[in-house]
Amino acid sequence: MQEKFARWYTLFLQHIKRDWKKIIIWILGVGLFSAGFVPVFEEIAKGQGLIGMFETLQNPAMVSIVGPTPIETASDYTIGAMYAHEMLLFCGLFAMIIAALHVVEHTRKEEDLGLTELIRSFQIGRQANSFATIIEVLLINTLLAFLIGGMLASFGTDTISVQGSFLFGISVAIAGLIGAAIALVMAQIMPNSAGAIGSTLGIIGLLYITRATTDISNITLSMYNPLGWLYLTYPFTKNNWLPIFLALGFSIIMVIIAFALEGRRDMGAGYLPEKEGRVSAKKSLLSVHGLFIKINKGVIISWLISFLILGAAYGSIYGDMQSFLESNALLQQMFTQSGFSIEASFTATIMMVMIGLVVILPIAIINKLFSVEHRLYLSQLHATKVTRGQLYWTNIGLAIVTGIVGILLAVGGLGGTALAVMGNQTTMSLTDFLVAGFNFFPVVLFFTALAALALGWAPKLGKFIYAYLGYSFILTYFSGILDLPNWFLKTAIQSWIPQMPVESFELMTFIVITALSIGMMVFGYFGYKNRDMLEGA
Amino acid sequence: MSEIAILKGLQKNFGKFQALSDVTFTVNPGEVVGFIGPNGAGKSTTIRILLGIIKRDAGEAKIFGKDVWRDSLEIHKRVSYVPGDVSLWGNLTGGEIIDLFLKLHGGGDKQKRDELIKRFELDPKKKAKGYSKGNRQKVGLIAALSVDSDFYIFDEPTSGLDPLMESVFQDEVEKIKQKGKAILLSSHILSEVERLADKVVIIRQGKIVETGTLDELRHLTRSTVTLTTKDDISQMASLIGVHDFIQKDNQATFSADNRYINDILKQATTLGIQKFEAVPPTLEDLFMRHYEG
Repeated sequence: MQEKFARWYTLFLQHIKRDWKKIIIWILGVGLFSAGFVPVFEEIAKGQGLIGMFETLQNPAMVSIVGPTPIETASDYTIGAMYAHEMLLFCGLFAMIIAALHVVEHTRKEEDLGLTELIRSFQIGRQANSFATIIEVLLINTLLAFLIGGMLASFGTDTISVQGSFLFGISVAIAGLIGAAIALVMAQIMPNSAGAIGSTLGIIGLLYITRATTDISNITLSMYNPLGWLYLTYPFTKNNWLPIFLALGFSIIMVIIAFALEGRRDMGAGYLPEKEGRVSAKKSLLSVHGLFIKINKGVIISWLISFLILGAAYGSIYGDMQSFLESNALLQQMFTQSGFSIEASFTATIMMVMIGLVVILPIAIINKLFSVEHRLYLSQLHATKVTRGQLYWTNIGLAIVTGIVGILLAVGGLGGTALAVMGNQTTMSLTDFLVAGFNFFPVVLFFTALAALALGWAPKLGKFIYAYLGYSFILTYFSGILDLPNWFLKTAIQSWIPQMPVESFELMTFIVITALSIGMMVFGYFGYKNRDMLEGA
Repeated sequence: MSEIAILKGLQKNFGKFQALSDVTFTVNPGEVVGFIGPNGAGKSTTIRILLGIIKRDAGEAKIFGKDVWRDSLEIHKRVSYVPGDVSLWGNLTGGEIIDLFLKLHGGGDKQKRDELIKRFELDPKKKAKGYSKGNRQKVGLIAALSVDSDFYIFDEPTSGLDPLMESVFQDEVEKIKQKGKAILLSSHILSEVERLADKVVIIRQGKIVETGTLDELRHLTRSTVTLTTKDDISQMASLIGVHDFIQKDNQATFSADNRYINDILKQATTLGIQKFEAVPPTLEDLFMRHYEG
């Protein structure tokens, strides 16, 4: 035992000391996001709000995104029920991803960097660092649970009980713990930290998609999904504590597995072997674009595959949707009135989600150019006849091409699967899907251009493009649920584009955003051409 | 007191690749062992096994008579280590990191720390992400030298340091040595090893190919002799133990097997020696022989 965990508390205190700023932002960020929206929901609930929202959220498209509610009739739907229904899954997911990234950062990443080697030369147990990290995450999430619980309860809303509030907080916190546990296991299996992060996010994504399908088709199956446990607690309605215990047990088992795996491997090695490389460069590598395709290849391929899978997963819901509609007279009426089929309306909503994801890849590619610059990888290149223009436009081109392929795969996967499961019960064709998808092409261009602008003029701001993406994603996500003022909605670029196929195509908007984006790219180029390279600074 | 470290028939495989096939040597108290070998020969792998960071596949490895894997914590109480590439947390200052390392080691001399920071001319207030390679190395060295250990393991400790700092390091190692501590010094700077080491261990392709004191190793090899004689010197070329004979008038340069040196000198005196110079092989010569051989 000594050999394994000796002096973990020293490392634990050290983690706290190093991370305290991050921890405060983490707890306040997730906490406020999880508990701060009660007044907004009270606003929504006024008048017929609750009933309207209940019906809206019965739509399988919405269930696949936000999760289910145990309430069966609109009259039983309370503010508390609505809050848990709309917020819990999303907040938990948020907490889960942050915890997972944190764990890999503190364990495998430090190993890759060589920090662990030095630490291990002291009287520190082999697994003390992993243990300290898990305890740190546990502490952070415990505080988070209390903050969320206390804050929710403090609003004093009738249907938001104290017990429910703390259950809500604990559900979010337990999601963080699950994420940490999964990440710790992957950190042992994968050959390096990038692999650990990628596979952990992949697993979380897969769990999310799986629960989207089971929530609609057979909700009892969601009880077998670690991601399901966090919202199946149903705070403010059922107050079901069982999933918390399941999640706790699951996390403990995962952590024990991780420790067992870690105890049996060498530092710096994983269980999956790293591939051996080639002796000399392939011809396809020997050019500027060849080089950048190569260094982005892993990222590009894994994202493209995820787009396809994600599209197909959402596409598979279309079948359930129709049978669901047949069983619900009220919903049937709603859709007949609006004049659109349920699949058209679902497509319009889901397309926003798909595009929000597809955009990540071009941003990542542009930001990569700065990160290789910063790490001095380009030093030797700058000393050759390769121009900055070549570097810049090659990456812009690569970003745009992957954006186009990304849309094609995501929407193709969605449409293809949707049409397959619906058979001939629909009037939509694959072209309708693709048109609805490429309708958002200017959004992809716009985000690429934003990243390019940052690259040219303020490269350190590049990572904040993701923050804006997250912001506009959340905004469009809530636009269907909350009644937000129009000007506020318009701060998200996606909301300028009409949601096809429910709305019709606007050529002018399409052209204006495209032109604006191209202008920003050119402007970014002048910045990139003339600024100092920030090498290692 | 018996040996500080014993390694016997150490083996380590990484997948199909055999990194170490037979590593055997000992480190005695008060001894500086120079551990040299080409890149990829297995120096760092051996050191990591000694530190209990990776697990050996076969053989025996003990420090202070304890198993390096099973009792690593006990061992680490009295061991200091500096890797060849010190990585640090970017958002902590050098001073903070040194203090942390002292604490993790358990013990450490605050006064010594301050003195070393001065000697190595490190700015301890700077964040580690702003340090150059050499400055990161200094942090590792200061932390390791400020604590009182019985066995110091240095893996190319001076890489990235300027010659001035290198000599500061060498001074400090001399001090440790005089206190009777044991040191395992892996280095590519052979003059450094030559100056500090009592014993040299040469590793090549995962195998120890040579062990011994510098004198012993030298004895096994050849000295470079420059000789000027009154009579014709060319007959020296045919003697046993004379190699690489180059003649210019009555002056010749050749390498001489130390075993035959007596016979060679006897023959030379018959020719009337006017000038004689013998240079013992440098470590570099020894090393090159093993690199190439």
